Amino acid sequence: MSTALFSEDQRDALQELTNIGMGQAGASVAAVLGEFVMLSVPRILVLKPNLIPPALGRIVGPEKVTAVRQGFHGDLRGEAVVVYGVAHCRELADLMGYDEALDEATERELLLDVSNVLVGACLGGLAEQINAEMGFSAPSLMATEVEVASLLDVQRMDSPCALFVEVNFSLEKRSFACHLIMLLPEDQILVLRDAIDRFLASL
Amino acid sequence: MASTVLVVDDSAMARKMLIRSLPAAWDVEVRQATNGLEALAAYRQGDVDVMFLDLTMPEMDGFQVLEALRAEGLNCLVVVVSADIQPEAQERVKRLGAIAFVKKPVDAEKLGVVLREYGVAL
Repeated sequence: MSTALFSEDQRDALQELTNIGMGQAGASVAAVLGEFVMLSVPRILVLKPNLIPPALGRIVGPEKVTAVRQGFHGDLRGEAVVVYGVAHCRELADLMGYDEALDEATERELLLDVSNVLVGACLGGLAEQINAEMGFSAPSLMATEVEVASLLDVQRMDSPCALFVEVNFSLEKRSFACHLIMLLPEDQILVLRDAIDRFLASL
Repeated sequence: MASTVLVVDDSAMARKMLIRSLPAAWDVEVRQATNGLEALAAYRQGDVDVMFLDLTMPEMDGFQVLEALRAEGLNCLVVVVSADIQPEAQERVKRLGAIAFVKKPVDAEKLGVVLREYGVAL
């Protein structure tokens, strides 16, 4: 459907603005984990809600996932979801220097902290460039060790389409990776598109 | 004599922003490439004095371009222009032969300072 919601120039701009946010997020998480973070080109898709789970599946693969959601509001309203493969969640504890297996509460806290850093830096970086004021709600655990397909309740999304912005972080020396998805409903896609137009016009 | 610069970035907007940030008084001929493979092809045609190189690109990324350039004698000045602002990324590109790292979004003044340091712009 409406890839036509974005012109080629608008899509290119959104990808580059996201790229800059992603770079800031990568640097923040590299500082937290003490490891070099490998970045790839962000992917921008406009999807019908029922096509979001397969898109997620393509990124994450067949393994079960744990995910953290964090809402954002203000000039731009939507939801960021950070998806971790289950094996990678455990790796995270090791990376943070915990020797022993973590209890559930500590592991959860760790996931929320890392997600918060990623979302804040990535979306904050994007918002800053388009002069959008944005606030974040507290991150919360969305699902633990579930199939990708059941992660999002797409039946409940009332928007005819959603913007799916995919950012992937992986570590060079460790088998850790996570994926940040930004979901915007259709009315907010239009808000974002106008903001991108203003940004492009200012160049 | 005009310098030939090669601007390498997968984003058209990023290339435009970089080109607009070049010192106004600098006499340049601008060429563009949208990924690492194109960049190497353009470099091999010769005459490139300064390459502005993005890191995160499809096909072949900026780190790989630097490695390939080194293997071929690195016959131009490379300024890495990237959103990947990890200190380690900056160290790596310098080890690979880049003269400088400029973070995105590009600050025209800082870019000018870097270029003047190497005597390639007014």
